[in-house]
Amino acid sequence: MEAINSVELVKIYDGKKPIEALGGVSLSVNKGELFTLLGPNGAGKTTFLRIISTQLLPTKGEAYVFGYDVTREEKKVRKHIAVVPQDVQTYGNYTPWDYCYYFPLLRGATKEQVKERAESALKAVELWDLRNRPCVSLSGGERRRAIIASVLASDADVLMLDEPTSGLDAVARRKVWAILRELVEQGKTILLTTHIMEEAEMISDRLAIINKGRVIAQGKVEDIKSLAKEKYRVVVEGNSQDIKLLQNDNRVVKFGGKQIIYLYDANEAVELVKSALKMGLKAEAAPITLEDVFVKLVGGEEA
Amino acid sequence: MNLKPVKDTLIIAALKSIPDLKRNPLMLIVIGLISAIPLFFLLIFGGQISYGLVGALVSTVSFIGIAAAIQDITYDRYVKIREMIIAMPVHPVSYAVGVALAPLILSIPSLAFFMIIAMWIGALPPSSVGWLFASLILCWAALSGIGFIVSTYLRKASVYTLNNISNILGLGLIFMPPVYYPEEFLGELGWIAMIFPTSNAAGLIRAYSGLLELPPEMIALRWALLFATTVISIIVVSLKSKWREA
Repeated sequence: MEAINSVELVKIYDGKKPIEALGGVSLSVNKGELFTLLGPNGAGKTTFLRIISTQLLPTKGEAYVFGYDVTREEKKVRKHIAVVPQDVQTYGNYTPWDYCYYFPLLRGATKEQVKERAESALKAVELWDLRNRPCVSLSGGERRRAIIASVLASDADVLMLDEPTSGLDAVARRKVWAILRELVEQGKTILLTTHIMEEAEMISDRLAIINKGRVIAQGKVEDIKSLAKEKYRVVVEGNSQDIKLLQNDNRVVKFGGKQIIYLYDANEAVELVKSALKMGLKAEAAPITLEDVFVKLVGGEEA
Repeated sequence: MNLKPVKDTLIIAALKSIPDLKRNPLMLIVIGLISAIPLFFLLIFGGQISYGLVGALVSTVSFIGIAAAIQDITYDRYVKIREMIIAMPVHPVSYAVGVALAPLILSIPSLAFFMIIAMWIGALPPSSVGWLFASLILCWAALSGIGFIVSTYLRKASVYTLNNISNILGLGLIFMPPVYYPEEFLGELGWIAMIFPTSNAAGLIRAYSGLLELPPEMIALRWALLFATTVISIIVVSLKSKWREA
């Protein structure tokens, strides 16, 4: 069953110079999956999420949440969704408990339900012990988790999170990932936007790469990776003159004394590593990453 | 009967007042202190304290009406709480009224303080208390409406700009017209008192408490003007404001 569905969604921001933020985005997110919109800054991810979450009207096209039209049936849509906006900040005087208590009340839950859900949400994000501490005295990661907890406590079916881990350190980010995956295990549907490749690769059931308002690839992580002809990467480090000897055609990306060389198969990668080691260079082979494919797709390089 | 919009209004008012009250209770004093400052000058320079107390009551609801409708709405946009609430099954009117209502709750101790003093010195007879509340509520609604017009029409202005506008507007509406001073001071320019919702409210309170003599038709006109300011500002805001961006 589809939780979210968009058909040829177009958004043009009016102005002296109209900007096309979405140029016909068609996507579907299944119930109970974590779907990621991956794209560079300004790709249209936030615009898409804001339209789906009934905050912004599309210029053309249609979008549905559980079959309800986001343009005409926004009240019904809002009963099913909860949103963490991009760059959301906490009120200094609010505590994590305030976030988890008042916001679900606005969704129509009773005080008893809210207290139960707030406790469960705060424990899930490991903020129970800090529940009565004003957000101003919490770390950035804790504040973000307080907001995420408010969304958890809402008990909405579809959670929409716009770059929820942006600005968090690796430890805090992984905690959020674990929470999101746990929610999916519980049957929630999550629409996430990010520009962090590892995040998309680690937690997505499916993802779409969006660039300049258009979806340029979508599917499971492996499907996206399969779009690249090269399947392996070898990182070589050492004297640049020596590295040049290893270069073969254009499948090389240079970063100072390091190079990433992309290869079609494992044997080719192993041979390259052997050659590099013989030359006294450091070399490491690995399968290509989502980031490699993303850069090729978004950077306009041939996959 | 669907009471959810009313319930939501109260939840938003609680959300916007109780956490601040719990963690920053001194704000209760600050709210009253701003309005009380002119009273000190009236005491020192021998002004009419009874007029000043009415001014302090009007000033309290006016400041918070303007500040909430401009500063709180703008801050909610800035921290993105508004975006979270838009995506909830909450009516925009519940949100707006809740935001405006929150500081009114916080101002209750100050209003009570000024009222008690005014009653104690005989500037506010008990029979006028009902009229006082009606005038203050309409004044608060009118000022909130003016504030919502500003925050709606200048929605792209920065938080800092809007904060300054809010303060200038608040001070202008409270200290320029005869809110703290008698209308008689204006002489032939007395009609100015009828332009501003703040001086209309102050005039009505004074009329009902015997501090100002106004013929019945002037009292009716003042009520009508106060009411009209509120209604017009609500209409103007509803024409321009959009809960969901286009």
